[in-house]
Amino acid sequence: MQTVYYIVLVPMVYVAFAVFFLGTAIRIVKILREPKNPSTLQIFPEKQPNWLYALSDTFFFPTVRRHKPVLWVFLMTFHVALLFLIIGHVELFQEFKIFQIIPHEVFLGKGFVGLILAITLLFFLFRRFKSPTKELSVPEDYFLLILLFLIVIFGSQMDWARRWYEYGELTVEDYQVYLNSLLYLKPELPYNVTFTGHSFMLVLHVFFANLFLMFFPFSQLMHSFLALPMNKLRRG
Amino acid sequence: MSEDIKVDKVLDLKGLPCPMPVVKVSKGIKDVEVGQVIEAHSTDPGSLTDFPAWARTSGNEILKTEQDGEVIKFYIKRNA
Amino acid sequence: MDNKMRDELLNLFRSKINRAMRYYLETCTRCGVCTEACHVYNSMGQTKYIAAYRHEIVRRLYKKYFKARGKIWPGFGEAKGLSDMTLEELFDAAYSCTGCRRCMVFCPFGIDTQMLMSIAKLMLIGANAEPEILTMLADTSIEKGKSLELFKESFLTGIKNLESEVVEKWKIEAGETAIPVDVEDADLLYVALAGAHSIIPAAVVFNAAREKWTLSFFEAVNFGAFVGDPTRTKLIMDRIIAEAKRLKVKEVCICECGTAYRVMKQLSGKQPFKVSSITEVQAGYIREGRIKLDKTKFTDTITYHDPCQIARNGGVIDEPRYILDNLTDNFRDLTPEPKYNWCCGGGGGLVALGDETLDFRMKSARVKVDQVKATEAKILATACENCHTQLSNLNDHYKMDVAVRFLSSMVADALLPQ
Repeated sequence: MQTVYYIVLVPMVYVAFAVFFLGTAIRIVKILREPKNPSTLQIFPEKQPNWLYALSDTFFFPTVRRHKPVLWVFLMTFHVALLFLIIGHVELFQEFKIFQIIPHEVFLGKGFVGLILAITLLFFLFRRFKSPTKELSVPEDYFLLILLFLIVIFGSQMDWARRWYEYGELTVEDYQVYLNSLLYLKPELPYNVTFTGHSFMLVLHVFFANLFLMFFPFSQLMHSFLALPMNKLRRG
Repeated sequence: MSEDIKVDKVLDLKGLPCPMPVVKVSKGIKDVEVGQVIEAHSTDPGSLTDFPAWARTSGNEILKTEQDGEVIKFYIKRNA
Repeated sequence: MDNKMRDELLNLFRSKINRAMRYYLETCTRCGVCTEACHVYNSMGQTKYIAAYRHEIVRRLYKKYFKARGKIWPGFGEAKGLSDMTLEELFDAAYSCTGCRRCMVFCPFGIDTQMLMSIAKLMLIGANAEPEILTMLADTSIEKGKSLELFKESFLTGIKNLESEVVEKWKIEAGETAIPVDVEDADLLYVALAGAHSIIPAAVVFNAAREKWTLSFFEAVNFGAFVGDPTRTKLIMDRIIAEAKRLKVKEVCICECGTAYRVMKQLSGKQPFKVSSITEVQAGYIREGRIKLDKTKFTDTITYHDPCQIARNGGVIDEPRYILDNLTDNFRDLTPEPKYNWCCGGGGGLVALGDETLDFRMKSARVKVDQVKATEAKILATACENCHTQLSNLNDHYKMDVAVRFLSSMVADALLPQ
């Protein structure tokens, strides 16, 4: 069992990050090397400055707010929570002063960020079972949502255990030792990381996250990078 | 009707806006056999250039064009 | 379908891929925000008319042949091979889409359905499965450009026949030509449609504004664009560019034809002349005081249908409203606003296909009819030949009881002597 833990927590993480960074970079370079469209793809009337509106389109999804307000609330919540979550993970490496402007205990959000994410993911998933979104969806869409849900559930479990049930065996300091050892290419698995009652959750969390990272460059998740240039095209 | 040309089918395209006359003529000509002739009546001045250009690209032949007041009459032989 | 054919079609697909197309092919999350965007879906309710569904027909082929994923795990994204059945689906998707780009306004990423459908259209041409009428019309246009000398005489005869009608509406001074053709160093080259309705009112207004203009030998409409053939589109456009350069005009003015305007405005590249629509030109005359309009000429309530290729996709939105403000005190705009205006249902070559598409055009544009009816206007003005034909058909079919008018002809009718 410890071998499986090791494979998931060390080599697979490296592979996943390599695939993610290289894959994404190669794909973006490939797309950018294609010739530009010969004509404008703008929609009128235009609003100046168009780059500012393109940014707003990208980060606030005004068209979704107008046409599907309920979906917009969930989408916005999801993406903001995702941002919190990324900050939370960065803080699992070390403390950053800039994130502590609003003093908080790591992990950010007292456990609610994960809960909110899980709920929004269920919403996204279930709306795909309803027509006409159902007819539009392909297996990839369900797969990615389920994968994300699993990552969030197992990840949050660890957070919830510490925050809500005073579970103290696997601490932030343990994660920091583990993650920093990965970062500095001297992989080290502290005893607490692999031998406590919640270790299997960590392993599952990391396993699904690895899968997610490896799918990222080859799936519709690329929208995270392409949304801005696309909206810029529309804004002219 | 022109005396020296035997017409097998008459197409009334009067009042149709461009590009309908040439659309209808390209369909209508399929109703006659190769070698037969259709007579098309159009009021659209664009037909004056559309018909000859269409005939050249489709391999058909305009035997004669007549102006009769507002109406333009084309005699077209199906060659293809 | 044999392998050779498949390879040829996939090469055509490849030829359409550029940076923007990659964005559009890679990004869709199938969120369904575009569901209510399409007039066809809203009028007919079938899922296959949702923009994202149309995209997927093309995207499945992309996933299959242009991504490694399609080989390793095709089921993941429902990647699908190219077969005769796919061609039918491509036809269905591409020729039920008018290219109005209303869905592009809805999409959180701004995916351009018209662009994606252009892949489908090009592949259909490769498979000889496109509507042959459109190709025939495109070829006819190109032929006219190639053998101009052959058709010049009959063209000039046709134009001469129209001159008396122009003079009847606006007197010109002795020695002037009512419809000048082939005038070198004219300021403006007017590219009309072959029909009298597109030439006479425009000529009247040009003469009234004392414009130094000349009429093009060629008709503006670009059937190559309708059928989605880049080569033919360019050939048809280039005839006009060459003429404009030969005559050394400063401005090329496109008649009321949406596709013609957008193609010339956005695809012609950097040229020594500027491209305008007749609506912009006429609005300019009013602004500069070169023509004055009689506000008592039209007493009924007027509404205006923005042609998609001219307004949402071309940016001419304020000018028609400026003209209407000078034409009537009874203008009532459509709701929702121009960016969200419903397509008339006739674009993308559907109107040019005539009776063949009539039934579909009537069923798919029900929302347009409701939108116009809500204004209770008696005159429905527009500035595009396709829209005009389609709106007239809708008017008959749904007994809308409106008069469908070209905006430019209303301007000509309301001219005040100066």
